[in-house]
Amino acid sequence: MAMVNRPQFLPWLPPIGRKTLFALAVAFICFAFAFPVLWLILTSLRPESGVYYVHRGTEFTLASFAEVLSDERIVAAFLNSALISTLATVFSLLVTVSSGYMLSRFTGPASRLWFGTIYVFRCVPYISWVLPLYFVTQSWGLYDTYTGLLLPHIAVHICFFSWLMKGFFDGIDPSMEYAAMIDGCTRWGAFIRVAVPSALPAISALAVLCWLFTWNEFLFALILTGNRVPVITVVMAQFVTEMGLRWNLMAATAVMALLPAFLIALFGQKYVIRGLRI
Amino acid sequence: MRPAARFAAGFPKTGNRFDSGEAMAAISLSKLNKHYGSLFHAVKDVDLEIADKEFVALVGPSGCGKSTTLRMIAGLEDITSGDIRIGNKVVNHLPPRDRDVAMVFQNYALYQHMSVYDNLAFGLRNKKTPEAEIRTAIDRAAGMLGLHDLLQRKPKQLSGGQQQRVALGRCIVRNPQVFLFDEPLSNLDAKLRAQMRIEIKRLHAEIPTTSVFVTHDQVEAMTLGDRVVIMRDGRIQQIGTPLQVYGKPANKFVAGFIGAPAMNFIDVNVRSAAGVTSVEAEGLRLTIGPADAAALAIHSGRRVIMGMRPEHLSLGAGAPGLGFDAHVEVVEQLGSEILLETRVGNASITAARVPAETAIARGDQVRLSAQAGRLHFFDPETELPIS
Ligand SMILES: Nc1ncnc2c1ncn2[C@@H]1O[C@H](COP(=O)(O)OP(=O)(O)O)[C@@H](O)[C@H]1O
Ligand SMILES: [Mg+2]
Repeated sequence: MAMVNRPQFLPWLPPIGRKTLFALAVAFICFAFAFPVLWLILTSLRPESGVYYVHRGTEFTLASFAEVLSDERIVAAFLNSALISTLATVFSLLVTVSSGYMLSRFTGPASRLWFGTIYVFRCVPYISWVLPLYFVTQSWGLYDTYTGLLLPHIAVHICFFSWLMKGFFDGIDPSMEYAAMIDGCTRWGAFIRVAVPSALPAISALAVLCWLFTWNEFLFALILTGNRVPVITVVMAQFVTEMGLRWNLMAATAVMALLPAFLIALFGQKYVIRGLRI
Repeated sequence: MRPAARFAAGFPKTGNRFDSGEAMAAISLSKLNKHYGSLFHAVKDVDLEIADKEFVALVGPSGCGKSTTLRMIAGLEDITSGDIRIGNKVVNHLPPRDRDVAMVFQNYALYQHMSVYDNLAFGLRNKKTPEAEIRTAIDRAAGMLGLHDLLQRKPKQLSGGQQQRVALGRCIVRNPQVFLFDEPLSNLDAKLRAQMRIEIKRLHAEIPTTSVFVTHDQVEAMTLGDRVVIMRDGRIQQIGTPLQVYGKPANKFVAGFIGAPAMNFIDVNVRSAAGVTSVEAEGLRLTIGPADAAALAIHSGRRVIMGMRPEHLSLGAGAPGLGFDAHVEVVEQLGSEILLETRVGNASITAARVPAETAIARGDQVRLSAQAGRLHFFDPETELPIS
């Protein structure tokens, strides 16, 4: 692998020039991605009067955070989002792990039918699920309930993440499970006691992805919930009112909503990446 | 490994199934067939009787259905038709866990998330064996295989050879009726492979257990097997002791597959005149001894395939009527001997066992001679031996 002669970027430049250019390009891309987040954090720290000239003011305050946290509805939204994300992750993983395993190890008609089904749903644009789901939740009396939001999320997780899980299991040598079956396990026992523990890093990585997916999800939450089940993404958008935009509050809420992802990036990144790679 | 080997040599065989006089574990396959899908016939009418405590090596080129056969014995693969008996009991539909077999896989198949100790204990724990007994069994197996220092490690922290020894230990600990091996040495380097071969041989002597050993390497098969089974395209070609399959191959395929370097095949014409039978090809004319002459005489005037093993060719004049001139094309110096690739007419012939000190070079003309009674003849149509 080492000595492959790849075509070089700007071959007429001296190596130092290439390195400098490369560094500049990386810096620019990082900045382009980081800038909105930095701006958001700055905005959240400005007093209400300062939000339109974030770049100029020198006055900083945590008042917006205090105001947001004293709003019961926002606190409830945080709790709801966390609860729904966690429940959706737990329930969907139960299905995703076994369905990914089935897709990876079995080739019978049942497996092919299941594969076809989730493939079809996977191909349908996400947004076109929303309206049918709205009518279904309405008619089943699930509109604006935990269940009414939870079930669609679980379904989406299953369709989106069974694939990933199949990939993980494809990467695990099945002879370990055969050994287990010879060593006294049933097929199911070999799955639970050998395949799942070996896939645990991948499963934890997937759990993080599932959790963040639901935590960040906006469309379903907007359409399928009303006032009874506020979730954070929707509540955040509601700072846009007829009276005007409450930028500072919106930014403060957004910064707090970024925290879980931020913490995972900080402490769990290594594990997530390792898990996604097995 | 050395201390462990010494320890094992003096190891009392307590707790062994054979001391308590349990059932015999012969394996019998009859008319065994396996189809994958509707088109692919992977194993065809396999009949095989394996005696209790016998070590059978199943050998053949890659893709010939060895693993499939083994996996059917283990119960990992459904059988399409036929019967499998283990110890006189038909096990066709028994799941693997009820067959009392143990298996070693090519890629070791250790449980990655468990320590070596837990790997070894896994099978016994499934049988609800008391922990104290498990400890004794593991201690014994670890002693035999030199695993004592590794028991707390995870498989990832072991070398390939160590992992394969753990896999062997996992089988021994369970004390099953049958050991199945699916190319267990293929992932090891040549030196380690030779070591492990001896280790497996020693284990079988210490714990005599019915064993089926699958390999594509004929050297492994010959050195390990009490009997060797040669397969091709899903069919058994020959079953016999290593000497039988080497000395009396059942067809041209077996003759070419067993033995290294491989047997030379030359198309020859048979000539029988005045009571003397000879075979001829371009640049070659050999007089056939009385043993083969009778069988060959009826093929007089026809073309047959002659097989000569490289190790049965020697440099020099040899017996009258068995020598021929050869043009040296490649000289392979092995230190202990020289391998010669030569050309005779339009056939290429390999000769082994040329003394290492012989002064010989590419382009030389040498005289080679065959050994009387060591020639093989095959019918070009059926590829069956003529005798
Ligand atoms: N699950 C399977 N589905 C279809 N064909 C298979 C399957 N397993 C093995 N085969 C085919 O059966 C033949 C025999 O395979 P195998 O028994 O693994 O050969 P080997 O002698 O190398 O161990 C091969 O041609 C292989 O491609
Ligand atoms: Mg194989």
